This record gives sequence, C-alpha cells and structure tokens, in this order.
Amino acid sequence: MKKSISLIAAIFIVAAAFAQKKTTTSAVIAFDASTAIDNLPKAVNKTAIGAVDIRTGTVQFEAAVKNFAFTNPRIQEHFNGKNWLNSDEFPKFSFSGSIENVKKINFKKNGVYTVQVSGNLTIRDVTKPLTTPATITVNGSTLTATTEFSIVLADFGISGVPIDAGKVAREPKITVSAELN
Amino acid sequence: MALSRRTRRILILVPLTLLLLGAGVYMYVASEKFGDTRLKQSDFSVTARDFIREFEADQAAANLKYNDKIVTVSGRVNAVEPADTAINVKFVDTTSGSYIIFAFQDQDLPGARKLGVGDSVSIKGSFSSGLYSDILGTTFITFKRSALEKIITKTGT
Repeated sequence: MKKSISLIAAIFIVAAAFAQKKTTTSAVIAFDASTAIDNLPKAVNKTAIGAVDIRTGTVQFEAAVKNFAFTNPRIQEHFNGKNWLNSDEFPKFSFSGSIENVKKINFKKNGVYTVQVSGNLTIRDVTKPLTTPATITVNGSTLTATTEFSIVLADFGISGVPIDAGKVAREPKITVSAELN
Repeated sequence: MALSRRTRRILILVPLTLLLLGAGVYMYVASEKFGDTRLKQSDFSVTARDFIREFEADQAAANLKYNDKIVTVSGRVNAVEPADTAINVKFVDTTSGSYIIFAFQDQDLPGARKLGVGDSVSIKGSFSSGLYSDILGTTFITFKRSALEKIITKTGT
C-alpha cells in the first residue's frame, strides 16, 4: 500500500515538474510613465498571472489594473480614473500571443534564450498587436521570463492635459518579469 | 494712462501670491505618499474562505463593497511565491482554486518572508479587486501594500 502511494506521488511530482503549461500568479509588471519634469507616474503590479505552454509556445498574461501600486495616492487615483485606465469598467490588462521559434528553446536543458514574442495586448478593451524581444531562462523545471517594451497611450484612447504638458510620458515603458513553474 | 502705485502693487502681488499658492499645492500633492497600512484602521475583518465565497457569489457587488478599503483577512497560508525581489502570500480555496494574493509593503517584507505554507495568519492590506482569470479559470483577489498583522499559529515550513 505504502509503495503504491509513493509511486502515485512520484508520478504526480514528475508530471508537475515537466508540465507543458508553466504558470505564475506573481508576475511583476512595472509601468513607468515618468518624464524629466515628473517622476511620479510609475507603478508596479506584483500579482499578474502568466502562462507559457512550452509545447506550443503560447504566452498569456493578465493583470488587475487596480493592483498597480503607486507611491502617490493622487497619481494612483488618476491612473484608475475614467479618463485614464477606467479600471471600474476595464479592470484587466491582458496579453495573448506566442513565442516565435519556440523549438529553438531546449526546455530540458538549463540555458538562457533570447526570443521574439508576438501577440495582442488589450488595454481598455482596445486590442493592439505587440512584438517584443524577451529573455527566457530555463533552470530545471522553472522558467524565468523578462521583457521590456513601450506602449503608445494614444493607441489605447488615453490622452489628457498631463500628457500634453509633458508630465506623463506619451510612450510609457513596461517591464515584465515572471518566474513560471 | 498711468496706473496708481496701489494698482501696480496689486497687479504684481496677486499673480505672485497665486503662483506661490499653486506651487505650494503642487509640492503638497507631489510629496503625498501612502501611509503605513499597519497603522490604518481596518474597514472589514473577514476569513479567507468567506471572502472568496463572497466574490464567487457576486463579484460586482463584492468589488463595490470593498473598493479601496483596508481589509484584514485571516486564513491559512497555501503558498509563498517569489515576485521578483519581493514575495507574495496566498490563501487558496482548494475546492474551487480561487485565491487571495497579498503583495506586501516594503517594510513588511522581512516578516512575510518568514511565513511558510500551513501558517495561520491575519494580513491587512489595501483591497484592489476580485476578478475572474481567463487563464486559470478561477477568481483571483488582489491586495497591495499589505502588512502582516498577526501570526495565529506557526506550523509551516
């Protein structure tokens, strides 16, 4: 009986370690719209959800807009407000895409790979194509993925006086870091 | 037409005062920061199980009720996850897979790092939202600037 339980447990552990879909609920997304005249519009969300299918190369991310933490209460309020992200109506950011040439990554061997990720980014219900270089580090059964790209706020219908006045960057920098298991 | 000395003084002083006032307001707003969550009064105290069920039953109503509130949640730690250089703590409903996740304020990270799976704790945080994850197929409830309020029992590793 003990042997059977150990065997079943071992099968589950091996299956989990080599699962085809690697996920995280603690991906970190940093949003930086600071400018030379205003250092305040930047925030971080440490609870984004991410998934990478190592067989097909599909990549998915989603983040709660309201969990972007700013240091300044007023800026956080503006970020979530109707003229900006309107988080009451559009509560999530999402990305769905795939790793180009996923076959070039050997997920069974430790290593660092630079890849291109292409897909669609949805903010405020507006979906735009996005292609960005990403670094994927394989360490045992853990994948670490990082990427950095910019978005054009106007593409997602975001505009306003602070942007025109140069207090908020027109093209904020987004940095993503995720450890997937 | 020459302006009187008094009018000239007013024309100089009023804009100058307004400018100084504006600069003062801007400086005040710009230097404003979120206070320590530990020192804030909780608007609600709930158990993790009841809190998750409330969101599963009516997500919109629950989001409205807890919007921007400070909430203390008690439960058993199911996961401690690395989040870049920080860590997050999770309470999971093992039946549905729905979970509550707490991102900590910097000053509370050392205490949170000592937590292990199985510990019973209460955590106070700034509620963000409870949403349905299309990726995981479960409800996820997020908190920011959290503080470890109390370790009820320390059994985890």
